[in-house]
Amino acid sequence: MEQFFYYVKVSWVSIKRAPLPYALTVFILSLGLGVFFANATFYYQMNSDPLPHKSDKLFYPMTLMVPYECNDCLPPRIHSYSNVQKLSASDIPTAKVAMYSSDGYLRLSSSQAPTPVSIRITQPAFFSMFEVPLLHGSVWSDDKARQELILSKQTAEKIFGRSNVVGEKVLLDDRHYTVIGVLDNWQMLPRLYDANNRNHVNDADQVYMPLETGYDYNYMSNSQSHTFDDTDFRQLGTQGRTGALHQLQFWVQLDTQAQQQAYRQFMDNLVADEKKAGRHQSTPNNQLVAMRDIVRFFGGESADIKAFALVTLLFLGVCLFNASHLSLNRYLSNQYEFSLRRALGASRLQLQQQMLADVLLMTLFCTLCGLLIAWGGVELLNYLWPANRLFGRWDPTLLLLLLGLTLSSSYLVTLYPSLRASFGGLNQQLKE
Amino acid sequence: MSLHLLLKSLLRRKVVTLLLLVQLALTLALLVNSLLLAGQTRDKLNEPTGLDLPHILQVQLKPTTTDLRAQPLLGDLLERQLAAVRTLPGVKAVAYANQGPVRQGGNQGNLYDPNDEARTNVPSIPAYIVSPDFFAALGLKLLEGQLPQTAVPLDGEVRSPMVLTRSLAEKIFPNRSAVGLDTSYAPVAAVVEDFFGHLMATEIMYNRIQVAPLLGVDWGYALLINTEPSATENIRQQLPDLLRQIDPNIEIFYIRTLKEQHQRLYSNEFGLATLLGILSGLMLLVAMVSSYSNAHFHALKQQQEIGIKRALGASKQLIFLELLSENWLTTALGALLGVAAALALNKMLASVISLNALSWWLPLLVSLVLLVCVTVATWYPARIATSVSPATATKTL
Repeated sequence: MEQFFYYVKVSWVSIKRAPLPYALTVFILSLGLGVFFANATFYYQMNSDPLPHKSDKLFYPMTLMVPYECNDCLPPRIHSYSNVQKLSASDIPTAKVAMYSSDGYLRLSSSQAPTPVSIRITQPAFFSMFEVPLLHGSVWSDDKARQELILSKQTAEKIFGRSNVVGEKVLLDDRHYTVIGVLDNWQMLPRLYDANNRNHVNDADQVYMPLETGYDYNYMSNSQSHTFDDTDFRQLGTQGRTGALHQLQFWVQLDTQAQQQAYRQFMDNLVADEKKAGRHQSTPNNQLVAMRDIVRFFGGESADIKAFALVTLLFLGVCLFNASHLSLNRYLSNQYEFSLRRALGASRLQLQQQMLADVLLMTLFCTLCGLLIAWGGVELLNYLWPANRLFGRWDPTLLLLLLGLTLSSSYLVTLYPSLRASFGGLNQQLKE
Repeated sequence: MSLHLLLKSLLRRKVVTLLLLVQLALTLALLVNSLLLAGQTRDKLNEPTGLDLPHILQVQLKPTTTDLRAQPLLGDLLERQLAAVRTLPGVKAVAYANQGPVRQGGNQGNLYDPNDEARTNVPSIPAYIVSPDFFAALGLKLLEGQLPQTAVPLDGEVRSPMVLTRSLAEKIFPNRSAVGLDTSYAPVAAVVEDFFGHLMATEIMYNRIQVAPLLGVDWGYALLINTEPSATENIRQQLPDLLRQIDPNIEIFYIRTLKEQHQRLYSNEFGLATLLGILSGLMLLVAMVSSYSNAHFHALKQQQEIGIKRALGASKQLIFLELLSENWLTTALGALLGVAAALALNKMLASVISLNALSWWLPLLVSLVLLVCVTVATWYPARIATSVSPATATKTL
């Protein structure tokens, strides 16, 4: 240990002797690492898997059961109510859920100012399938329509000033509801259960309403809806349940390969039967996409983040080259000192240990400066691309990755110069 | 000072020169592509829209009670809002619409000539439901036909006539007048000049408009206000209070000029161009630091050699020029490599984002910028090198 401190001390003395070249090396390397890390933060978070143990078991089925003929079309990303009923009529999935999102205005009484809220209109299985934590109360016992809502914790606290509000009454769009549950803090990131139209980058919803109630009260999707026939969007409770008004997302949980195979077969049979019955004419094109692949399937990956990732990687490369260049000049300037040590009996191994002390010091400085630059970079990215703001956060894994990257970069930057300084011809070096 | 000797000098420092060349090449590649993207974004922001963007205000709003979101109360609310806005000094025209123009996407539908559906079907066209003043509010020029003067309900017995923009009319009814002809939804009453509709539509300038009462506004609606240039900001400031006075049960999402709306539409591209611009600046800085360090270190190492040259009669200017020439040569070689790197990077970026191909003059321009930066960075170390005394030569004896 004593020897280690000695090496660190020698490194520090060497830095103090020529601080400017060293500061430039640290600055350039930190700049590359900081800029790379700022963008990598978004890239990593946006491509992370929020349910790693389950994301290969949750599937989004899609079929081309639509009242128009198209033989080379992808199926619509959203379903009609009647198609969801047909896709649900199977016992193969362990769980299944339909849902969509809408907007509303929440208040305690009509004399109060309304609070705009986003509503997820869904079924009870949503909470178990996507592992939504419940803080108080319970979820609906079945899929029937009812005047009952579940609130997020933040919404309960905003409206009532506390979180335990089970049994309390609220007004949502001038209709009375009872609160039956309050969620714990929860934000799936990315929000893969709603990946259509790049909604996976959005905040979690504030209010949860039964699907049948949403249809009864004519809540239209605030994300995407299509009418492929004459269905009147003002008659969601009646025509919306039978016509080709598409606005629902539908998920099934298929735990085993056998279940997945069986459900694919079920979809094939269903579409063939429907075609035989004359309810659609298109060539079947069924899709069953796993949750972990859904963003890519919908083309929702952030092209800007991807492009900038490419460029920041390039920038990191340039900074590594530059820092190596500066470091090489610095070591060559100190070559006489290295050679003198060798002449006095220091082994090459000891010189390499000295180099490792240099690497550790550089790692320390670069991590600190790099984090500072990365923080600034994240703030800048949040400003320029506010839609991605939820992903600009660090976690221990990410910080460890940065540390590992800084350590290896510092090692790379120091490796060649130190080797050159310790392995050159001693006579020649001492003469210079 | 020959090219051969300069190359020999560079080859004596192979690793350092190689590192510098790679840096310069990558810097050029990034600079070229950043400039390309910045130019592309600027072109998008300057594209013709057919609208007086800075002086048209769009208010996006929604009633907060269910009754107000449907007829008949909705119709009454709209009338009161339009009447109140018209009284503001500087308002030239005001209209309601189910959605504004200059958007990413929104309410869209298809349209075709019923006699030739297969060839004329246009799948995604913004479908506007508006009040009669919509055309005046957007300042649209009537090209043919007559603009509808009264709102005809979309769910009534009589079909509400349709107004098409010029390019859409030409697409569906090529080489003939569209006025009076039937479409898959309604007969065409008039054709107006093109304007920027939705970015996600089949074509930006394709738009279909029907003058009709709004059936429901669950997704909100827009008030479009054409203003005198000097009154735009004043009207914008008065609008929130005015609209809430008429009925407090509304949520105003935003009040923007169409110019702001247009800029927001390309905010992602603008963001990326800004980031690449910043990064390019940093890369130039890094390249300058590198060149400075290279020249400085080289000058220090070559003190004896410079001294000998001075003792043999080389002038200060010649030494100065020699050092600069070395860096110019490095820059030129780096720029050559950089062109290849720029092409490769352009290809890689184009696979991720929409990016044009490189034009020949861009690498040339950036090479010149790089040359200037490198010259500035090496100037000081080169000046120091010229101050080496000829007496230094004697140290080598």
